[in-house]
Amino acid sequence: MDRLINIDRRIIFIFIFLGIAIPLLVDIPLPIKPTPTVRSVYDEIERISVEDADRPVLVSFSYGASTVPEMVPMTRAILRHLFSRGRKVVGICLWPEAVGIAQPIMDELAVEFGMEYGADYAFLGYKPGNLAVVLNLGQSLAGTFPFDAAGTPVGELAVLKGVRNLKDFSFVFDFAAGDSMEFWWIPFGQEKHRFPFAGGCTAVMAPDLYPFLQSKQLVGLLGGLAGAAEYETLIEAPGSATAGMEPQSVSHLIIILFIVLGNGVYFTTRRRGGKA
Amino acid sequence: MLFMTRTLPFLFCFAFGMTGFAIYYVPHEWAQSVEREFALWLRLVYAFAYILGLVSLLSLHWSKIRQRQAGWAYSLIVYISFGVMFLFVVYNDGNGPFTSQATTGPYQWMFTSIHVASSATMFSMLAFYISSAAYRTFRARTPEAAILLVSAIIVMLGRVPIGAYISDVIPDTMQWLMSVPNMAAKRGILMGVSLGAIATSLRIIFGIERSYLGGGGD
Repeated sequence: MDRLINIDRRIIFIFIFLGIAIPLLVDIPLPIKPTPTVRSVYDEIERISVEDADRPVLVSFSYGASTVPEMVPMTRAILRHLFSRGRKVVGICLWPEAVGIAQPIMDELAVEFGMEYGADYAFLGYKPGNLAVVLNLGQSLAGTFPFDAAGTPVGELAVLKGVRNLKDFSFVFDFAAGDSMEFWWIPFGQEKHRFPFAGGCTAVMAPDLYPFLQSKQLVGLLGGLAGAAEYETLIEAPGSATAGMEPQSVSHLIIILFIVLGNGVYFTTRRRGGKA
Repeated sequence: MLFMTRTLPFLFCFAFGMTGFAIYYVPHEWAQSVEREFALWLRLVYAFAYILGLVSLLSLHWSKIRQRQAGWAYSLIVYISFGVMFLFVVYNDGNGPFTSQATTGPYQWMFTSIHVASSATMFSMLAFYISSAAYRTFRARTPEAAILLVSAIIVMLGRVPIGAYISDVIPDTMQWLMSVPNMAAKRGILMGVSLGAIATSLRIIFGIERSYLGGGGD
């Protein structure tokens, strides 16, 4: 029993490694069931595509390099949905690292859906200031982002015609790996100006944001790779998140089995009067 | 001297704190223009904080290199990495430093293939350590711990497709756990933290809490 309690952690690492590697190589079809929080985002984009088709959508990228595996699949899924419905999209970054990650994705998907830069979408780049940027955006977009990332004055971008501030966007979506949703966007943007707002975040952050879902300050929420996979299922475009569900499922199962084993050893040892 | 180091910062803190608090709730045009200016100043402070951070980082590592402290070679790598990235940012794929950053070229390649890849790898390694830690520490020692353990297993299964594959009850139970007990707890924590933040802010604005000025908490 002592050997089981003090099992070499490298053995656990090997099991996790195999649990991730094998499902990546062998296809294990598993059903992906979209949760209500993810479906709400999908429904909102569908709704604005019909009821509010003229105004652009603002997407904010607030993540960096370390969360790319979780955040990029949901970025692709949301942008794919927006572009497929012909929505005009404006991208901004509230994290400096996000520029080098988000801009290539926007450009790549825009080419795929035949969207023209300036007319159908724009990328305004990064501004420092976190919540202060959101505050300024609520008053003047051109005052906050006078130029796009390429240096073109925003007044020359057709996609921003008629857009003065946050209230002129039909929908705002924040991709967050930090506290940008609950501490920047909701108190200084959504709560002040009352626009439809939703977000995508890392899995570990999602439980923190549930109070904002019930208060309707968040229309919906995509949590981690699972949220992205659910969204890919809804838009019928399986991508890297869907592929990632198989290794994630198996690795979760392995962790659960180890927890059960650990508890089994603990109770057996305790019954024998030993120390676990 | 005491006026410059204690009284003046306190007066600034009081004036800006009270004004910032008041204008948030006032929709008048004048208040909005003050808020706009405040936010602009805040953004300038943020921008200068990057410079401060950079200087601080480079000074720290320079002192490690100069004194040949343990692990000074890593500090040298910081300098080399910073220098190489900085040079290629200035080079800007042949466009020079005065045009917008190119989305191709050596800088973008280093960012994507080295920085993003290594950062994501570091983050992904957490899965291995979490597994090991869960095996060693997640024990149903008390009824409360047992409830937590069962909930964790349901959420872990319910968040991934294998949960629905086993039974539809698992994702539904997971959703209930997240939407009801989790949300109630999170809301309580959030309200507690917010009240604490308000209390601390008021203490700072009214000069009760002065430790941020340095030299003790008198």
